[in-house]
Amino acid sequence: MTLLQTLNEKAKQIAVRSPWIYRINAGSCNGCDVECATTALIPRYDVERLGCQYCGSPRHADIVLITGPLTARIKDDVLRVFAEVPDPKVTVAVGVCPISGGIFRESYAVHAPVDQYLPVDVNVPGCPPRPQAIIEGIAQAIAIWRERI
Amino acid sequence: MLQSTTIPLAVLLFPGGVFAVALGLMLKGMDRRLAARLQGRIGPPLAQPFYDLVKLARKRTMVPDIAAEPVFLGAPLIGAASMLLAAALVPIAGVYTPDPILGDLLVLLYLLAVPAVVLMVAGSASGSPFGAIGFSREMALMLAYEGPLVLVVATVALRVGSFSIADIIAYQQVHGAFLFDPMMWPALAAFLAFYPANLGIIPFDIPEAETEVLEGPLLEYSGPALGLFKVMSALKAVVVLGLGIALFWPSAPDSGALGILAHLAKLIVMMLLGVTVLRVSMGRMRIDQAFHFFLKWPLALSVLSLVIVACA
Repeated sequence: MTLLQTLNEKAKQIAVRSPWIYRINAGSCNGCDVECATTALIPRYDVERLGCQYCGSPRHADIVLITGPLTARIKDDVLRVFAEVPDPKVTVAVGVCPISGGIFRESYAVHAPVDQYLPVDVNVPGCPPRPQAIIEGIAQAIAIWRERI
Repeated sequence: MLQSTTIPLAVLLFPGGVFAVALGLMLKGMDRRLAARLQGRIGPPLAQPFYDLVKLARKRTMVPDIAAEPVFLGAPLIGAASMLLAAALVPIAGVYTPDPILGDLLVLLYLLAVPAVVLMVAGSASGSPFGAIGFSREMALMLAYEGPLVLVVATVALRVGSFSIADIIAYQQVHGAFLFDPMMWPALAAFLAFYPANLGIIPFDIPEAETEVLEGPLLEYSGPALGLFKVMSALKAVVVLGLGIALFWPSAPDSGALGILAHLAKLIVMMLLGVTVLRVSMGRMRIDQAFHFFLKWPLALSVLSLVIVACA
């Protein structure tokens, strides 16, 4: 039993070194997406050294980055894609829009904050957030993910 | 009696099985690391593919509502099993020669076609439109590259006079490796064009194009089932590169440990030069371009070499 537990613990430690990232654009202006895609995760900052990998399919994902204020038009699709991500998963809200709606918060067309509909684990505020902040958010998400996997 | 114990060992433990999986994952790790360095990044740890696999084993496998479940879940099993068997068929010169009971080069050729077929089946069973696109592209690409491969193998077999893997190794150990024989260079060139396509490396990763059809057939897979596909592709790298070494470059020292080291060094050279450098320095071809490329150059080269060898 104890051997099994140590093995399980070991496997857990190994597993958290491979967080795969999936981005959902919930009606974002693309500012945060640009920060995520080109700045935070490409040569200069390279989160692949943490084992992160972008995946094109929600089914491969472990960490979900959500950007944008969840517009009315896209809400159902976002929820559906989010449900396709297999457990255990961690959600990071990137930018101020998914957190509070940002400059769109009074609009009739947005459903922010996102955490009314999805369990958000980490908030990374900013308009857009700095790449360092996104990386820190991902690092915190990995720490939370360790408890779940 | 002896055979009945060594064959399971060969499939599950030494040249195939555990050894081949570890080797394949290590090659993938080196590939990712070097690719990152060539792009000016630091890159993942060398053991990253192992971490990915452990992670995938702990995730849930989701089956889409419209998928044909038995086929969807059976496909990765068949793919990984076929490559496990194929890995036991690949010789390591001076160390391991596959038992003739397991099969010869022709069996290896058939086993090599299984992963592509499995990906097609998986893509269409998943019910996803991206899987269907992957299916049709995989089929077109396979039709294009299988021809040159068969002709290359036939050329080598004709030169040696046998389809037995042991004979091919023995012939080259006496007469020198085909790598240094100008008569065999067209076949070698055709093989060098074939293996990136078979491994799904960038100029030819059209069926799984991540940025275009979101990994096509693999799109709907998650958890352990996706992990099995990763194992399959790691094993395939070992098998295809090992086949190339057996066909063209099996010269090796006779003693066991040195033989394995020489084999490893050759695998690493083929992986890094033939796969990594290629994939970071090129863009993806369209399926029609790849199809025309294979029916033009590798096919012509392999026919040429077959004619040269037949006439010589």
